[in-house]
Amino acid sequence: MISERIKSNLSESFTESLLPKLGVAILICIVLFAIFAPILATHDPTRTGYYDDSGQPYPPTGTSYETQISQDGEITEVAIEPSDEHLLGTNTVGQDVYSRFLYGARVSLVVGILGVLMALAIGVPLGLVAGYYGGRVDDVLMRNADVMLAFPALVLALALIGVFGESPVFVPDPIVYVDSFLDIGVADGMPTAIPIPGTVTIVAALVTWVWFARIARGEALSLRSEEYVKAAKSFGTPDRSILWRHVLPNSVTPIIVLATIQVAVIILLEASLAYLGFSGTTLSWGYEIERGQDVLRTRPWVAVVPGIGIMLTVIGVNLIGDWLRDALDPNVDNSTRGA
Amino acid sequence: MSIAKFLTKRLLQGIFVLWGVVTILFGLRAVSPGDPATLMLGEGASRELIQQVREAEGLNDPVYIQYADYVQGLLVGDLGYSWRSERDVALMVIERIPATLELALAATVVAMVIAIPLGVISATRRDTPADYSATLFSLLGISTPNFWLGLMLILVLGVWAGLFPTGRRPVGLGPAVLTLAETGSISELTTWIHYIALPAVTLGTYFTALITRLTRSGMIDELGKPYVTATEAKGLPELLVRYKHVLRNTMIPIVTVLGLQLGTLMGGAVITETVFNWPGLGQRLIDALDARDWPLMQGIIVFIAVAFVAINIAVDAVYSYVDPEVALE
Amino acid sequence: MVDPILDIEGLTTRFFTGEGQINAVSDVDLTINPGETVGVVGESGSGKSVTALSIMDLVEDPGKITAGTVRYRNPEFAASIAERHPDAVDGDYVDLLAVPKHVRRSLRGTSFSMIFQDPESSFNPSITVGEQIAEAVEVQRRATTRPRSVSARSTRPEYRFSDFLLSTVFPSRGYVSESSKQEAISLLEQVGIPDPEERVGQYPHEFSGGMLQRAMVAQALAGEPDVLIADEPTTALDVTIQAQVLELLNDLQAEFGMSILLITHDLGVVARMCERVGVMYAGKIVERGTVSDIFDTPAHPYTEGLIGSIPDIDTPGGNRLQPIAGNVPSLLDSEMGTRCAFADRCPKAMQRCLDEPSELDASGSQSHTAQCYLVSDGYAEEEALPAGYFESSGGDS
Repeated sequence: MISERIKSNLSESFTESLLPKLGVAILICIVLFAIFAPILATHDPTRTGYYDDSGQPYPPTGTSYETQISQDGEITEVAIEPSDEHLLGTNTVGQDVYSRFLYGARVSLVVGILGVLMALAIGVPLGLVAGYYGGRVDDVLMRNADVMLAFPALVLALALIGVFGESPVFVPDPIVYVDSFLDIGVADGMPTAIPIPGTVTIVAALVTWVWFARIARGEALSLRSEEYVKAAKSFGTPDRSILWRHVLPNSVTPIIVLATIQVAVIILLEASLAYLGFSGTTLSWGYEIERGQDVLRTRPWVAVVPGIGIMLTVIGVNLIGDWLRDALDPNVDNSTRGA
Repeated sequence: MSIAKFLTKRLLQGIFVLWGVVTILFGLRAVSPGDPATLMLGEGASRELIQQVREAEGLNDPVYIQYADYVQGLLVGDLGYSWRSERDVALMVIERIPATLELALAATVVAMVIAIPLGVISATRRDTPADYSATLFSLLGISTPNFWLGLMLILVLGVWAGLFPTGRRPVGLGPAVLTLAETGSISELTTWIHYIALPAVTLGTYFTALITRLTRSGMIDELGKPYVTATEAKGLPELLVRYKHVLRNTMIPIVTVLGLQLGTLMGGAVITETVFNWPGLGQRLIDALDARDWPLMQGIIVFIAVAFVAINIAVDAVYSYVDPEVALE
Repeated sequence: MVDPILDIEGLTTRFFTGEGQINAVSDVDLTINPGETVGVVGESGSGKSVTALSIMDLVEDPGKITAGTVRYRNPEFAASIAERHPDAVDGDYVDLLAVPKHVRRSLRGTSFSMIFQDPESSFNPSITVGEQIAEAVEVQRRATTRPRSVSARSTRPEYRFSDFLLSTVFPSRGYVSESSKQEAISLLEQVGIPDPEERVGQYPHEFSGGMLQRAMVAQALAGEPDVLIADEPTTALDVTIQAQVLELLNDLQAEFGMSILLITHDLGVVARMCERVGVMYAGKIVERGTVSDIFDTPAHPYTEGLIGSIPDIDTPGGNRLQPIAGNVPSLLDSEMGTRCAFADRCPKAMQRCLDEPSELDASGSQSHTAQCYLVSDGYAEEEALPAGYFESSGGDS
């Protein structure tokens, strides 16, 4: 499983090279942003305050947002520039860009990690069984995998969302919940629940499990002929416990490396879906970029800030993935970077 | 196994894959919410009209008959009619192919032209500033969402620097070449190049980064092999050792990977076309999805799957030609 | 006495790794006469192969040749570069370590060529054997059509990137010419490969190990080299095939008159092929002499050990196989010290062995020498190191 040699490899390549440290540092920051978003945020990220360029409430009380658009013909002026009140300005509906940046990290990370966990849960058992038994079972699985790979993941995801809808799941915010007992510094008016794009998470798992199945199958296939597995079989050990106790632990290294790479892939997939308007939540970096596209010339920060968020997170994950791959040296390469 | 037999086998596998794609699409449509007739006619349509349409479209038939009809139609190239525009889907797909193909090819050319030399330099000058820059570039390339990259390119090179146009392209490659042939005027072709530059870079960056990484690690592996020393010992010029021998062997597995990554290319094209308002298949797919126009959506996805399978078989054919030993195992 | 074709003195190659400096080859002297076969024998890791690669200038990073001279006798070559690199030329000799890399590279294939241990991994798997041999022929063909004097003077590569790009578009513009391909067929025939016309179009994996090693010999002969370096040419082959390949090398040497530097761990091969032998240990040649010197009157205890470890089939049950105790020593500079590297495995180690011995004459003829105090002084029981000396002190002086 995780041997001493692997541990020393990991720590050696960590201390020797700058890049893994950078990756860990970036990711720790993003994770802290995500966890403590309610404390770090200056505004409720979902509150649409409307302000004009001088920071005055806009439109004047009594008139609705829509009427103002029709009178001015431009909604672009609603996004206000970075100021003391709004550190990174606001977006086109007057939401605080900085606060949405923090909350966006939550959505990205949760979808990335949950998506990979689900893909693991589907792909690894199927792959292990297929590789271990071979024959008909293997054929059926691998042909299915070919079919899955024939869909561009993004297109498949779009088709599935078209069927299942894009329902977000509202998850209570643990930090706000804790704050209601102990005052840990959450500002008033922070949302008590945040929307996680449920369909997107499931779809991300459905379009990526194939990669896990392929890796697990390959490992099971090569381990099947190992002496100790043969020995265990000859003692009459049931297949299930051979798979669980011998084959799985030995395939852990490549699966971990692949899982790390796939977190990055899924984060990018979620951002793309949100950008195209198919994510089911507006509290997402990808969606913010879409919103900033219309005002790119005049209000570039609306699109630039969330883009940097995605890029940094994915860089962090990829750096850690590279570190694990180089140190553990499993049979996983860049070719498994499908999306 | 002979090469012919191997390719026949791959062809049969490809047909199976396409059948799977078609079936899954049909299944998705069958379970998707919303009555097609209502979607076609709009909410206000009368009950009689809806019934009429249901009858005409075969929507009242049992599912397996609908399925048989659908597959039968596909076999003769009948993709049905769009619910939204009531045009022939096959036509709607075909008219959008050139733009997407131009974009995909331009992106591939950008990727190949930049990535392979970059990977080679990176591998042969390890731990030099050139290697570090290439590594950093490829890290950024695989980590940047391409729609954001596209917007940033529009902002920096299009809006601020004013080097490239940012609107919808006025002319495709075909008409531009025709104009060149007829009038000898190159201006439409240069316009085309101006308009395709940013989208091609946007779509190509991820692949450039990926191929740079693959080339670098593949070259490093390959350079450590004994035959390299043996080939150098013959006195062969270093350039030939590096390109005819080492790079060639590095490219063989990379070509297969790229075949598999076509799906990513298509997905990237969907996004890129949306960002740049590019009149291709991807943009039409998004429109179809927004309108829940199933026949159009199915038609586009089936076409993408056919292209994917066909290109992968072509890759295998090339592969079995350049490396008979590995391919036929 | 003839002048040697190759005269190596003080050759020292080091590898500068993250863990420290590795002394792969230290102060090696070696001479090879025209038409002669010289053996270098030693365990794996003793520096034999690095010595060969150093002569070919094929030592890879982080390795560097740090000292020594490799003098190669070739009047024509010497004359052609005398003007540009006067320091490197001494009469008919050229010191290869004193000329630029591109000049040394121009000698590969045409003056020196090399046979490697494992033929299967030493051919490019995705290019036909015929094409690869033809490449070696082409190197020679181009070298003769383009006079040395020109190639030595010009730093411009004879083959440029534009040539390569052209050849990918027009296959007829490839590096290898048609006549070289024809020559490859006759070379295959010469090394005893049946159906050479058919064989040239086949890939390495379609050859058996023995056939492929013959093809490698053909490739090495393509440039009609003065010196053929054979690095464990038979180790990867079956015993019966080994004999055939050695036979082939002997025949070809008789026909072409080239010198052979034979690198092996197998004393049987040495006895069969060589006139003179150097015994290598821990990067140094510890004993040298004629084959009969080494086999009949070994002077260095390591040579004795090596000979003792050959299974003696003539006297069954009598002389049992005696492996040398202990392991191949570390070549890491920090762990080597200056003492005799064999001291910790030597049954006759003495106090003075902790100092490095100079080369000592073993027979009075200057042809048989050894780096061991036993040669001059004999074994002095009173100076013997106590048992377990190296275990307790860690072996460092």
